[in-house]
Amino acid sequence: MRPIEGSGRRRGLPAWLRTTAFRVTLLHLVLTLAGTATLSGVAWLATIGFAARQLAADVEQDAGVLLRVARLGGAPSVAAMVDARMAADRTGTEYYLLAARDGARLAGNLAQAPRAAGWRTLRLEGGEKPGAEVLAHGTRLPDGAFLVVARDLAPVRNLESRLLGAAGWVGGTALLLGLLGGALMGHGVARRAAAMGAALAAVEAGEIGRRLPVRAGGDEFDRLAGRINATLDRLQELMATVRQVTDDVAHDLRTPLSRLRQRLEAAQRDAGPQGEAVTGAIEECDRILGVFEALLRIAQVEGGARRASFSRFDLSGVVEAVAEVYGPAAEERHQTLVARVAPGVAAWGDRELATQMLANLVENAVRHGREGGTVEVGLERGPRGGAVVTVADNGAGIPASERGRVFRRFHRLDAARSSPGTGLGLALAKAVADLHGMAIDLGDNAPGLRVTVSVPPLPRQDARSA
Amino acid sequence: MKILLVEDDGETADYVARGLTEAGHLVDRAADGREGLILASDGGYDALVVDRMLPKLDGLGLVRALRAAGVKTPALFLTARAGVGDRVEGLEAGGDDYLVKPFAFAELAARLNALARRPPLQGEPTVLRVGDLEMDLLRRAVARAGRRIELQPREFRLLEYLMRRPGQVVTRTMLLEGVWDFHFDPRTSVVETHISRLRAKVDRDFGADLIHTVRGAGYAIRAPDRG
Repeated sequence: MRPIEGSGRRRGLPAWLRTTAFRVTLLHLVLTLAGTATLSGVAWLATIGFAARQLAADVEQDAGVLLRVARLGGAPSVAAMVDARMAADRTGTEYYLLAARDGARLAGNLAQAPRAAGWRTLRLEGGEKPGAEVLAHGTRLPDGAFLVVARDLAPVRNLESRLLGAAGWVGGTALLLGLLGGALMGHGVARRAAAMGAALAAVEAGEIGRRLPVRAGGDEFDRLAGRINATLDRLQELMATVRQVTDDVAHDLRTPLSRLRQRLEAAQRDAGPQGEAVTGAIEECDRILGVFEALLRIAQVEGGARRASFSRFDLSGVVEAVAEVYGPAAEERHQTLVARVAPGVAAWGDRELATQMLANLVENAVRHGREGGTVEVGLERGPRGGAVVTVADNGAGIPASERGRVFRRFHRLDAARSSPGTGLGLALAKAVADLHGMAIDLGDNAPGLRVTVSVPPLPRQDARSA
Repeated sequence: MKILLVEDDGETADYVARGLTEAGHLVDRAADGREGLILASDGGYDALVVDRMLPKLDGLGLVRALRAAGVKTPALFLTARAGVGDRVEGLEAGGDDYLVKPFAFAELAARLNALARRPPLQGEPTVLRVGDLEMDLLRRAVARAGRRIELQPREFRLLEYLMRRPGQVVTRTMLLEGVWDFHFDPRTSVVETHISRLRAKVDRDFGADLIHTVRGAGYAIRAPDRG
């Protein structure tokens, strides 16, 4: 089977990771997370901002009350008030500091405090809760004393961490569910795509009656599979028609040709020594039959039905045998046939067809090679378990511009038109190579033609027994 | 030989029957598979010639049925189908040989002779002799008139193929199939070149030729006539 571009395991990722479904889920997940993040941000601003403003308002109000007390009764009244407040605070979240103009502490539980008016966030060093954060507001009193009112920030911080935790849970769950859903969907899609691919590969391998699985559900995959199945039905019909026509032609032409040949042969027997003309007619009849035979065989090979009976065969043996068969024929043309065959090379396919392909190539080399030249036949192991067969001569070769066309049926180079041959040998060789997934390549032997056939490695399950 | 011909095409049947009769064989004819099966079941024939496409029961079915019934008469298929798998199918059904229509009558005659005279499997000889030519199959050595002849492995197989059928006509295609396992007809005359090489080694330096060309048919190896 020909490997399809991009079907290999790229970058080692499993198949479900490389599905459209997984990618769409991933994109969806990113958008969901972005939405969650925005929502969390808005909630954050609303709640934390509100709590912080509440705390600040509390401090501001308290400081305002104390400032009014200071205006009425001076620092001593404020000190008494602060003491009273502290005594009444059961939550331990209220902090005060009243300092005289010279800096001496008059009242309060704050160990240290800034001496500038305005808002501050302080971290307590010592006292009951070292390290606790407080929001502090400093006010200069009319008599020159300095008042700091502060509140513990712990409730706000608690709220923050709760909110963060909640956002983490929501985001994490979304992420997990998204990934899980994506993996499941990706896996499902990958599995269905693999099932479709396997069915198509089986069809390509010659199991023409195989169809793609279609579920009762009827989603877009099933509709696509149904469409492909309909196409395959049509293809199978066409192939059956071609086969039928070929069989009919084979039968309907062969029968009269057989009779013609039989009559000629009978006439030859009756004619005795004067049968020369009849002999010529029989030869001509055989030539027609030969062309006809080759055409049918090419059609049959191109049909691909032979793939079903592929097996492992000894490629080294085939190459050796063909080289051996044509050795004396090359000698007749005073050519040296040199065979370099790596031993023990196996291939997957139809031994008989492979033999014929190789025979056609060697026959061409002997026929069109220079008289007295060398015909090389080689088999060597190729990259990744494959093999390479070469057949080279030093005749006139094939001009580069003609190389693509010589595989066509009945195509013959002008120089070869006068010599016998059907113009089907290379077409058959090409059909056989295609059937086996072999690449056949025409190159320059400087001078002459060098044909290279790249043989794919054995299928995996068979290579193990090699 | 007594031969049964199962062929529905009248003209081909006439042609084959006439040729075989002229060659001194006794020919019975059947025009469809069922009739052929009934006649062949007696087992009184030396060889069967069976067309693959027959009315009522096709050739493959006929031979399969015969083999299932234990009739071992050698069978040769005639067919208008020259597909790559068809020959294998025919052999798997129990046929012994396969000939694609149209064929030269000499080809059919030579193959029938080879089939009917196939030596039994037991008692395989270890030395083959034709005239003063001797082939030792165990030592893989060939000598003529006591003089050793060196042969390439494939030349040995070619000579062995001929010597196992002394006096019989062997056609080009029989040699291609039997010696080289080629099941198609190369355009180059490869068989002729191999035979001439073999002749150079086996016949040239000796008085009498053993390998003969049978005009319009093929080759035969036989001892020189003594009288």
